[in-house]
Amino acid sequence: MIPDYYEFCNSAKIVSGSKAIEHIGYELAALGASKPLVLTNKQLLELKVATVVLDALKDTEAEVVAVYDDVPVDSSVAVVNDVARVYRETGADAIVAVGGGSVLDTAKGATIVLTHGAEDLMEYRGAESLVGRRAIAFIAIPTTAGTGSEVTSAAVIKDTERHVKMGFTSLSLLPDVAILDPRMTTGLPPRLTASTAMDALTHAVESFSCVQANPLSDCYARSAIDLIREYLPKVMADSKDPKTRLALANAALLAGAAFSNAMVGIVHAMGHATGGVAGVPHGDAMAILLPHGMAYNLGCAGDRYGELLLNLAGAEAYAATPAAERGTAAIAAVRAMMMSLHESAGLPLTLAEAGVLPEQVPDIAKAALNDGAMSMNPRQPTYEELVEILKGAL
Amino acid sequence: MAQRGWRTKRGRKALAAVVYAVLGRGLVASARLDERVRGEVRSWPDGAVVTLRIAPFGPQVSWRVSGGVLTYLGGAEAPADLLVTFKSVDDAIPLLLGMQGVLAAFAEHRATVRGDLALAMSLVRCLHIVEGYLFPDIMTRRILPHPAERRASHATAYVFLLFRTASLEGAAS
Ligand SMILES: [Fe+2]
Repeated sequence: MIPDYYEFCNSAKIVSGSKAIEHIGYELAALGASKPLVLTNKQLLELKVATVVLDALKDTEAEVVAVYDDVPVDSSVAVVNDVARVYRETGADAIVAVGGGSVLDTAKGATIVLTHGAEDLMEYRGAESLVGRRAIAFIAIPTTAGTGSEVTSAAVIKDTERHVKMGFTSLSLLPDVAILDPRMTTGLPPRLTASTAMDALTHAVESFSCVQANPLSDCYARSAIDLIREYLPKVMADSKDPKTRLALANAALLAGAAFSNAMVGIVHAMGHATGGVAGVPHGDAMAILLPHGMAYNLGCAGDRYGELLLNLAGAEAYAATPAAERGTAAIAAVRAMMMSLHESAGLPLTLAEAGVLPEQVPDIAKAALNDGAMSMNPRQPTYEELVEILKGAL
Repeated sequence: MAQRGWRTKRGRKALAAVVYAVLGRGLVASARLDERVRGEVRSWPDGAVVTLRIAPFGPQVSWRVSGGVLTYLGGAEAPADLLVTFKSVDDAIPLLLGMQGVLAAFAEHRATVRGDLALAMSLVRCLHIVEGYLFPDIMTRRILPHPAERRASHATAYVFLLFRTASLEGAAS
């Protein structure tokens, strides 16, 4: 599969392994930085997850000039501006972000404010419109294995006063270094592990079937799915095993790099809308909607899903399935994965189980149609088609 | 041998400027003729200026929406609330001539967007409808996500485009 034209960038240095965080001093020095601001949240400090990073930093030449732990669940403009203020006041020269999607997005927002001197972040919204080198060293340490935000060029930040969600995509948002250390994720409860893994799986599947899929993003997507197929059941069986945790963290990173370049489609468009209208957590929405989105795309992306059967179900199953049936079999493989996560972790199987009301469907469909992710889907649904898909997932 | 016409970059820019003028008036005409475009435009923030530009020095085309009504601003400089910038004239031409879809152009990184991405999506839907009026089915089949559904005939749209918008503009000034 070779598109007429494509772009691919994954410039972050990946540092992955047990005790990888102990290299943070070296990585900061390599970036020419010595005064990091550590960005995290209170929960991660209480759970002694972020403290692993702070402890590692104690044993380096770098001096932590501030620990900012006030990042809320949704990254907001006010917090982004506040982080930038603390950064300036403390004379920091790097941001070390330790957390999930919201912490990393907040860090990305702060780098925009600090690099471009943004008074109003709203003016910098857009796709690829931010150009120029980032002025700040930026290390990302994810504490979930799902969003892949440590290697994506995108950030979403809420303006809570004006009630708008601002989207940014720019290569200048890519962290310099992404550190994956199993100590960051071994404490994740099974329910959250399952939900975030399904987010990563959706990134891989959607990037593989979206209009911008390319030979490089395909490699990342396939590797991510291989790791999820092999290691997710193992993590669900023994959540403390560092090796399997590291494998899942790598899967999320690979899937993140795939979709940052090849984009996501209808499943994310519907998922963002379901989150916005009915408050369904992103990973849960992905798990529920992925097979439905794949079924809708089957007519135009069936061959691509068929190729993924190799990764979703393994070589034996792939070889045993006639080519014409592989697309449908890929959807069945995703459903089987969902079912086992439903049994082992209580992941919801339907939108109704996730708390969506039938009367919310029209609003979800409307929001999904307006979502930027929809534009990269291989097939463009009408409003009526979206309502049907969502009803099918209820 | 010196190349002429659209084979030169200058020629292609001139061509783009002509298509921009047609597209510019076409969108205004569609906003009057077609309730789908009217509905989209009504959802845009009042006073918003939307601009399509070719980097780095143009040409460009802008529209302003006020009270739900769209005005064609031509190539005039106006601070844009939504700015779509093609990276080069060669990224714009396939789209402007109906050889590439708007979504495909975005997917292939041919344009950058500054502003609200939801507004950009709305603009894309409008452009799809306008393309339905400007281009014959044989072209729109390749570039539109759905078969073109026209609320007015091509002929009406062309007459509207050529005369009504011009006369309305004349009346307004
Ligand atoms: Fe996601």
